[in-house]
Amino acid sequence: MKCPVCLLREDKARLKTAGMALEQLSDVVQRCQALPEDRYTTEDHDVFTISGRTCIEEGNSAQVLSIVLDEKNQDIVRCMGWNLLPPLIQVLVKKEDKKLSQCLAIFNHLLQTCRPKELLIGLLEQLEQDDPDTIATSLHLLLNPLQKVLLCLGSRKASSLGMTLSSVLDQVAKLPLPHTKEQEEDDVFSLCRCCTDLIDFVKPFVHEARQNLLNTEARHEREQGRDNEDELQTELLKFCMKTLSHPLLEVQLKDPDTLAVSPLRNFATEILNTLSAIGESVPSLVYQPLLKRKQVPGFLEEEVRYPKESLASLAHLVFVHHLAADTFPSVFSPVFCLRSNMEHICLLLSRTEEFRIQKGLELYEKSLVRVEDCSLHADLLEIKTFLTVPQHMVKVMTICPRHDLRTRGLKVLQLSIDKFDTEAKYNLFQYMLKTSNHSGVEGYVIKNIKNQIDVALQPGNSNTWFVGAHLLPLLRKVLSLPDGPETDLLHYLDRVMESLNLLRYLVIRDKATDNQTGIWTELYKIEDTFLKPLRVGVNMSRAHYERELHNTMATTRAKAKEESVLSVSVGDEKLPNMTSESQIQALHSALHTFDMIESVLVRIEELTEGEGKSLD
Amino acid sequence: MYAQEDQIQTSSLTKMADEVTREWSDEQLKSDAFPKKDIITFIQDNAAHSFLNEHKLLGNIKNVAKTAKKEQLIIAYNQLFESKKFKGTEPIEDVTEQVKAVKIEVKSKEAPAEVVDEGPPKYTKSVLKKGDKTNFPKKGENVSCWYTGTLEDGTVFDTNVPKTERKKKQTKPLTFKVGLGRVIRGWDEALLTMSKGEIARLEIEPEWAYGRKGLPDSKIPPNAKLIFEVEVVAVD
Repeated sequence: MKCPVCLLREDKARLKTAGMALEQLSDVVQRCQALPEDRYTTEDHDVFTISGRTCIEEGNSAQVLSIVLDEKNQDIVRCMGWNLLPPLIQVLVKKEDKKLSQCLAIFNHLLQTCRPKELLIGLLEQLEQDDPDTIATSLHLLLNPLQKVLLCLGSRKASSLGMTLSSVLDQVAKLPLPHTKEQEEDDVFSLCRCCTDLIDFVKPFVHEARQNLLNTEARHEREQGRDNEDELQTELLKFCMKTLSHPLLEVQLKDPDTLAVSPLRNFATEILNTLSAIGESVPSLVYQPLLKRKQVPGFLEEEVRYPKESLASLAHLVFVHHLAADTFPSVFSPVFCLRSNMEHICLLLSRTEEFRIQKGLELYEKSLVRVEDCSLHADLLEIKTFLTVPQHMVKVMTICPRHDLRTRGLKVLQLSIDKFDTEAKYNLFQYMLKTSNHSGVEGYVIKNIKNQIDVALQPGNSNTWFVGAHLLPLLRKVLSLPDGPETDLLHYLDRVMESLNLLRYLVIRDKATDNQTGIWTELYKIEDTFLKPLRVGVNMSRAHYERELHNTMATTRAKAKEESVLSVSVGDEKLPNMTSESQIQALHSALHTFDMIESVLVRIEELTEGEGKSLD
Repeated sequence: MYAQEDQIQTSSLTKMADEVTREWSDEQLKSDAFPKKDIITFIQDNAAHSFLNEHKLLGNIKNVAKTAKKEQLIIAYNQLFESKKFKGTEPIEDVTEQVKAVKIEVKSKEAPAEVVDEGPPKYTKSVLKKGDKTNFPKKGENVSCWYTGTLEDGTVFDTNVPKTERKKKQTKPLTFKVGLGRVIRGWDEALLTMSKGEIARLEIEPEWAYGRKGLPDSKIPPNAKLIFEVEVVAVD
């Protein structure tokens, strides 16, 4: 606490400087009253700016207000008034100042009096803030004035609008995003309110762009492309594309059942409506990967004009959230839709951010469910994305940190497999066995192969892929050990177990007398290349692990003996030696695994020897 | 798809039913040294389409060789001479019909070929207003149209026709490349038969619309027959 004397001294000093500033302001204003605008000197401008700002900062807004409202000063205000914006806006943003209403009055008067171009500069400068609260407040405060100012710019407003929208979106990007329904409702950081304000902000410009479009079309009878590139349309398109990336790609929209009134969903819907209004057909945008668009002789290159990420976000909004569904044609074929969406899906799944992966999976799932089972032709696998996407899915299933996404990835992968026809399934399985490099995935694919063989063996379902000529080459790839007898069986367990399961299935299901799959004539080869090395491997591994177990237990006993002399207790409980216990557990588990493998091997032996004997 | 059909048609039509002579004896054919492929080639070159179909000898020689046993081929060879069902011995209409009935595997770059299990077309068209009968769209060309789609119970599930005439001037018709599998099959097939200015009512069976799945999350249920009123505004 400062002493009252010091406080008083500070007040006096402040009043003195304030007084000085006010004096200076009055002086320069009086001086300029008599002069025409072009006779104001640079010094006049500077003095006005500095003194005016100081007055406001020091709390003398009442006096400034009266100067600014004075009829005699209107020319001066028009010319120099905009320089007062910074401190004014600071006050308005803070909202607590006692001088709020006066500053607001000055602000509004300046907006009406000063030149639009200069006001624009002043307002835009003040958009840049650092902390989320101030950002949100300044946006809420400034969007309306900015709109009014821009509307005064007439036909040259497009580039200024672009600049404004760009700055605004940069600021919005700094706001934390709501993730849950409650967060969206509470809107603590006002992102939702900003989005709503943004829509109101762009409305008149969208309307103007739509009018321009209609007028241009009235003049040219039928336009195939956009001959007259409308700058306003371009800026609005840029804006929409940017919002599709941020915030729309990153937020999770809530459906009407979850959240009846959702500002974010409304925002997204309005963006789609804006696109239509400015002449960008949403179906064309969404299906862009497959449509050869004519190069628009305009201001932006195709890739820049329609960023891929924005289009992917748009596709997600249309197909997963069904926004603007009423205006989206229901005539496109599901396969065409899938083919197009694969590009978007590939993009979304290609990076590791969880929100992108989630959206990629959702879009993939929605695209697949429209397609009938076993209907996708093998030709589709010649399209790059149809192979890249499964590769991405493998990554999702195996390394994505979120368990629910890993599970969903697996579910969607299986869904995609089910949609391919038999030949395509065959090719896809081969491809995944070759490229996934993950025992779990390989095991899963092998299980699928078994299922397909099972289907093919049913009466009427015969095909050349899973029972005919093509089966054996595939089986040879499956019934093999990656490193021969030295294969790390624990590392490759999933794959090895599924291969054994498949083989056991075959020898049970396909009678030696039928040999529809050809397995019986192949058995002697499989014995050499798979079963024998596997037996050797199991024995070697078992021996190794048994030795390890013996050693570990011996060490543990030795340690226990030592510890009987010196033991650690906490309360009444003796701390167990955790490391070697869990080691022992792991070793037991490994040995159990080898037993499991061996039991299937033995079973297969029984089945094949039995049949072999009956054939003799 | 269409190219291969044409190919078979011409080859069977231009080849005259010259006297086809029997070159090999049963003993020769049965010999292990005698390759199946040669028998297949001969039969495919000389037999009528219906004969090949009956004996499952259509398609890529390699594939046929894999699935057909030698005994079967020898039997077929003999039967060919007994029945004299050589190429060029069938009336043209029959050939056309059989050609349509064949399941043809062709690698198509643009859109994968649908399984050609032809029966009658799965849609009907009633012309409400005739078109100019000159400007028909070709496969791959752009078609622009106004349309309204309803379910059998009359529910409108989709339309691009604006409510007022004035708005129609401000809206663009739907434009897409026809015949490439971008739209439901009923549309692809029907629009190829419509000329500029034509207005028609199309009733499309689910198989050529959205089939067993329907369009989830939309007004179109599974197994829905769709009714469209389509007006062709422009052709390319």
